[in-house]
Amino acid sequence: MNSSPGDLHRRNFLRGSAVAALAIFGGGALAACTSAVSQQRGGDDNAQPVRGGTLKYGVVVDLVPANLLTNTGTTPYVVGLVFETLVRYPHDKFEPQPLLAKSWTVAPDGKSITLDLRDDVKFHSGRPFTSKDVEFSLRTYADPKWSGQLKSTAAAVTGIDSSDPHRVTLTLAHPLSNLFDLLDTVPILDSESIDQLGTGEKIVGTGPFRFTQRIPNQQLVFEKNPNYWVPDRPYLDRVEITIIPDNQAQLNALKTGQIHLADGVTYRDNENLAKTDGYRVITYEGAEIEIYVGANVADPVLSDVRLRQAIAYSVDRERIIAEVFRGAGYAANLPWPKNSPAFDAARNTRYSRDVAKAKQILAQLPKPPKIPLTYNTALSAYEATAQIVQANLAEVGIEVELTPTDNATFVKQLIGAQFPGLWITDHSWAQFVPSTLTVSAYPFNARKNASHFESPAYVAAADAAWQLPQSTGPDAVRAYQALSDQLLDSLFLIEIGVRYSQGSATRKLHGFNWTKRRELALTEAFLA
Amino acid sequence: MTAYLLRRVPSALAVLFGASVLIFLLLRLVPGDPATILAGADASPETVAAIRHQLGLDRSIPAQYLSWLRGVVTGDLGRSYLIGGQISDLIGRGLSNTLILAGAALLLAVTVSLVVSVSSVLWDRRWLNAIVAAANTVTVAIPVFVTGVLLVLVFAVAIPVLPAGGLPPDGFVARPDIAVQYLLLPATCLGLPVAAALTRFLTEALRTELAKPYVLTARALGIPRRRIVTHNALRNALPTMLTTLGIQTGNLLGGAVLVEAAFAWPGIGRLIEEGINRRDYPVVQALLLFSVAVFVTIQLTTDIAHAYLDPRIRIGGRA
Repeated sequence: MNSSPGDLHRRNFLRGSAVAALAIFGGGALAACTSAVSQQRGGDDNAQPVRGGTLKYGVVVDLVPANLLTNTGTTPYVVGLVFETLVRYPHDKFEPQPLLAKSWTVAPDGKSITLDLRDDVKFHSGRPFTSKDVEFSLRTYADPKWSGQLKSTAAAVTGIDSSDPHRVTLTLAHPLSNLFDLLDTVPILDSESIDQLGTGEKIVGTGPFRFTQRIPNQQLVFEKNPNYWVPDRPYLDRVEITIIPDNQAQLNALKTGQIHLADGVTYRDNENLAKTDGYRVITYEGAEIEIYVGANVADPVLSDVRLRQAIAYSVDRERIIAEVFRGAGYAANLPWPKNSPAFDAARNTRYSRDVAKAKQILAQLPKPPKIPLTYNTALSAYEATAQIVQANLAEVGIEVELTPTDNATFVKQLIGAQFPGLWITDHSWAQFVPSTLTVSAYPFNARKNASHFESPAYVAAADAAWQLPQSTGPDAVRAYQALSDQLLDSLFLIEIGVRYSQGSATRKLHGFNWTKRRELALTEAFLA
Repeated sequence: MTAYLLRRVPSALAVLFGASVLIFLLLRLVPGDPATILAGADASPETVAAIRHQLGLDRSIPAQYLSWLRGVVTGDLGRSYLIGGQISDLIGRGLSNTLILAGAALLLAVTVSLVVSVSSVLWDRRWLNAIVAAANTVTVAIPVFVTGVLLVLVFAVAIPVLPAGGLPPDGFVARPDIAVQYLLLPATCLGLPVAAALTRFLTEALRTELAKPYVLTARALGIPRRRIVTHNALRNALPTMLTTLGIQTGNLLGGAVLVEAAFAWPGIGRLIEEGINRRDYPVVQALLLFSVAVFVTIQLTTDIAHAYLDPRIRIGGRA
C-alpha cells in the first residue's frame, strides 16, 4: 500500500515518539553522568571553618522591599545580611555590644548619648560611613511611611550632632530606658540609594554581604562583601534566598539537599527532623514571639473585666504549647520572656488554668452570648490554638464562634481595631527592654491599641517605664512590676505563652547566628 | 471583510473596557488593602495613612481607575506595590516558567498517550487493556497535589534521583541535562491526568476506526494489522485527539497553579496567588485583564477565521 507524502508512516511515528521520549526521559539517563541531586549535595561533615561556598536558604514569603524596616516576613534576613546597626545585644541580656559604634557615653541625666563610630567602615558602594549616616538613618526610621516599630522612640531623639564624622551625639526629649533597643534596631542606611531601597532595586548597607540580584517571587542573591571591616570575614562567598511558599516543599527541598536552611518547616516536622541524622533544628532563643488572645473591650460583653478573667483562667496554655508548638516555648500570663528584666514567676502564673474559678466568676455574670473569635489563616498554628481555646471556653460555659480570616483582612482589622470580639495572633518586641512593648508594639500601645483599651494608669505606668534612664536595676524592676500589674488587672490581652521561631538546617551549616529580631548574622557562618 | 472587522473590533474593545472596570471595582470590594499589608501588624493608623497617600490610594476611585487605564493603554503596567519590580517583567517571567512547565507536560502527555494507545490497540490483550484502563482511572482520579507529594516522596526523598522542586540553578539553556531533571517530576505530575484523558480518547477513536469498512478492505488485501493501525487508523483518529488536546490544555494550565505550589515553581499561578494574598492591586489587575485579553483575542481570531472561510458570516447572513 502506497502512502502520500503527508501520511503518517509507522517508521516516522516510531521515530517521532522515540525522539520525544528521549527528550523527556533522556535527562533521567544522563543523571548517571551529572545528577542534579548530586550537584546539590557533596562536601563532608567537618566542623573546621571553611572558606567559600554558597548558603542556600528556603523562605516562605518573598521580600516586600517597602517593608524593609518593619521586621516582618523576609526582611529580617535581608537586613541581617546587608545592614548593620550601631550596637548589638547578645541573645540573653541587655548589655549592648559594640558594632558600628566602638564606644559610647550616656549623660548622667540620661538625656543625651555620645557614640564614637568606627572609622574603617564603608558602604557597599565604597562610600565611607560617617556620623551623617547615623543621623540620616534615625531620621528615616522615624518617618511613618517606613513603619519602623520603634519610631516613637526614634522621634524622642530631638537633636543629632553629626559635626564630627566619627562621633555622634543624640539629644533626647527625656531619658529613654529603651535607647539601646533603638540603636540595636535601626539599620544604618545609605542616603544615596534610599529611593531605590523601597523598590528593591538597590539595597546598600555596610554589612557582610552585598545584595546583587533579586528575581521577584523567586530568588534573592547576596555576595560576600570583599571590603568588610571584620578581617577575613565572612567565610561564605554567597547566600541565595529562594522563595518556597509551601511548608512541605521546603521540607522536601531541605531533605534532598537543595537548600541548607529552611524557615517554613512546621513544628511537627521539625520535631521529627531533630531526631534525624544530618539535620538540626535551630531555636531562635532571644528572639521570642508571644501568642495571645486579644479582647475588644469596647464590646459590651467583653467590657466586663470579670469575663476576661474567666477566659484567662480557662485557657489551657500548657496544652497549646505542648500540642501546637510541640514544646517549643512555655506558658505565660505576661508577655515577658524568661530573660527579660520584667519576668516575674509569681505574677506570670496568676491566671494558671483553674476551671472551677472560671465557673465561679461566670456564675456572678449573666450568660454571655456567643462571642466571635477571629484568627489568621496564614499560619495553621493559629487555627489549632483557636480550636483549643474554643474547647476550653466551652468547658466553662462561654460559647465562641471561630472566624477564620485571611492575612490581609486580619491585619487590616488589627490595625483598624475592628475585631468584633476576641482574636488570636502573635506579638513580638517583648524580648527587648520591656518599655519598648508598651510604647511601640501596637496591640500593647498604651495610647492607642487594637483592644480600644484606655486607662490613664496604664499610660502612666508605660511612660514611667519608658522614661527611666536605665533598663535594669531596682527602679526599672519596680516600674516593670507596675506595668505587669496593669496588664494583669486589665487583661485586654490574655497571654497564652512564649514560643520560639524555628529554623531547620543541614548539619553542614556551622557558625549560624541571629539577632533578637531574627535577622541573619552570618559573619561567622560556614558550610563544611 | 473590512466591514466585518469594523463591526467586530469595537465590540471586542468594549468587552475589554467593561472587564477593566469590573476587575478594578471588584478588587476594591475585597476586604484588606495593600497599605495595611505594607504597614504591618504593629503599625499605627498614621503610618497606614502615610502609606496610603504614598501609593495614591487616598485618591478617588475614578481617579485611580483613569490613571491605571492610561498606563495600560500606553503599555505601562506600572510597578507592583508589594512584590516589587515592573509588572510587565513579573508577568513575562512567570508566564515563561509556566509555559515551559506546561509545554513539557503536554509533550509528555502526547507521547505517553500515543505510545499507550497504539500499543493497546496493536496488542489487544485483555490483561493489557485492564492495566491501561486501571492506570487511566487512577491517574484521572488522583488530584495533582497528591500525585505531586507522592512523586517527590518516592523520587526525591526515598530514592533521591531527581530534585524535589525549584528551577534549574543555571537556567534552562545552560545545562539542558540538569534542566530536564528539574522538569521531570512537575511535568509528570501535571501531564499524567492529561495523558490519561488523551489515551482514553485516542484508544476509542482507534477502535472506532478499526471497525470501519476501509479497514476490512485493507485486511482483505492482506495488509498487516500493525501497518493499518499506524498508517491509516491513527491518521484518521488524530483529529479527534486534537480537539481533546485543546480542551485538556486549558485544564493543564489550571492544574499548573497547584503543581507550581507543590514544586516551588515560580510561574504565573504563584504570581496570581501572591498578588491576591497581598492585595497587590496593580499585579492582579494586570493579570486578570491579560486573561480577558487572551480570551477576547482567541475569540476574535476564531471569528475572523470563520468569516474569512464563510462569506455568509462576513455579509451578516445566516450561517
